[in-house]
Amino acid sequence: MQNLGFAYAIDPALRRLYADPGQRSEALRRHLATFNCHPYTAAAIVGGAIHHEELVAAGEEPPGAPFEYKQVLQGPLAAVGDGFFWAGLRPFFGALAAVGALLLGWPALVAALLLYNALSLWLRWTLFRAGYRAGDDVVLRLASLSLPAWAARLRDGGAVLAGVGAGILALFATGRLGIAAGVLTIAAAAAGGAALWLRARLLPAAYVALALGTAVGILAVRFPGGR
Amino acid sequence: MDYLVVAVVAGLAAVERKGFLQAMLARPVALAPITGLVLGDLPGGLLIGPPLELLWLGAVNMGASLPPNEALGTVAITAGAVLAGQALGTGVTPAIAALAIALVGVMATVGRSTDRAIEEWNVRLAARAEALLSRGMPRAAVRTNLYGLLLPFAVSALLAPAAAAIAVWVIPGVLHGIPAAAAPLGYGWAALTGVAAAAGARAFRSQRGIGLFAGAAALTLAVGRLAGGIR
Repeated sequence: MQNLGFAYAIDPALRRLYADPGQRSEALRRHLATFNCHPYTAAAIVGGAIHHEELVAAGEEPPGAPFEYKQVLQGPLAAVGDGFFWAGLRPFFGALAAVGALLLGWPALVAALLLYNALSLWLRWTLFRAGYRAGDDVVLRLASLSLPAWAARLRDGGAVLAGVGAGILALFATGRLGIAAGVLTIAAAAAGGAALWLRARLLPAAYVALALGTAVGILAVRFPGGR
Repeated sequence: MDYLVVAVVAGLAAVERKGFLQAMLARPVALAPITGLVLGDLPGGLLIGPPLELLWLGAVNMGASLPPNEALGTVAITAGAVLAGQALGTGVTPAIAALAIALVGVMATVGRSTDRAIEEWNVRLAARAEALLSRGMPRAAVRTNLYGLLLPFAVSALLAPAAAAIAVWVIPGVLHGIPAAAAPLGYGWAALTGVAAAAGARAFRSQRGIGLFAGAAALTLAVGRLAGGIR
């Protein structure tokens, strides 16, 4: 499906570059070939493909050049996008929004989402512009952003935020049900974390925690200290 | 009327998640409060959203792998919990949230299966676009892209309210029939949120993740206890 999305994105540029409907259809057909990339870093390829289409329209490059450009870059840019945006930036802001919502309510949640979108839109625009201006040299521009190094920092920061979230959730449980519930939250985080690191499946692990926690709750309400 | 609203929210979330914007509005941390807000219970959405976000922090579409459909799961759980809370007159409590996840959390897995089927179905659209182009209709060919968003919208708009209805049917019956179940289920919710936080830490795949997670949790608990706890 990304080929259709790519054709949809580049069509306004093709309409400006090719006045002749036949040439435009031919150009559009080039961009209906299989395409698979990260939706954010694909912005660089859209920019670069427009750069090459301009050269094709001016007769300075053969018609196959934009296709070759896309073929060469889609894999590496997909890997960069997955590593930085999907495994770093977005989960970091997800964890930040979760911690903010737990502590401060919806204003913190809205602030985290606005910050994420400002940053990601700026990066997407930067990637598009780099592709359009630099063409084949977009890889060098991309390297100057040091995205893998930032991704590693975001992953460490995200693990810290998840830990803060665990602490807050335990404090909430303590406030609602007593110290036993807080201890249970931390014990579940430790046991569940160990199970997940040993590759247990997520939803079954969550259901087991729910069932065991409820069983502990049945015992806890029968003894002093529970409620 | 409430179920129609749930259908629209779930459908729009399915479109935002993969096709339009991708601005985190379909992530649980945003979608649960949005669902709560449109159903008249923002605090209920805020109770459910953060733990679900941590639980499904690793649900991302990398390469050819398809993650659980966290958006469908979130709308089904939140709508079920909010409407059940309204039926009981209590709002969303931890016990209701726990039961909602137990009953309809599996919708995230169901959603992954429907996502795969939709992807396979939508491959036909590329062939349709090629055909339109060959017939000299480039504008129509380009617009074909938008039709690819219809099926995710429709499937989520059907499944989310249906799942929520199951939760609304079962939860009041359980909590009316066994009132003493509320407190133990609160403990179940507490345990679930602990696992959710651990799942969130694991999603980052940081080499130092375990130590950072444990250290941050311990520090937060210490600071929280010194500050008198959180209610």
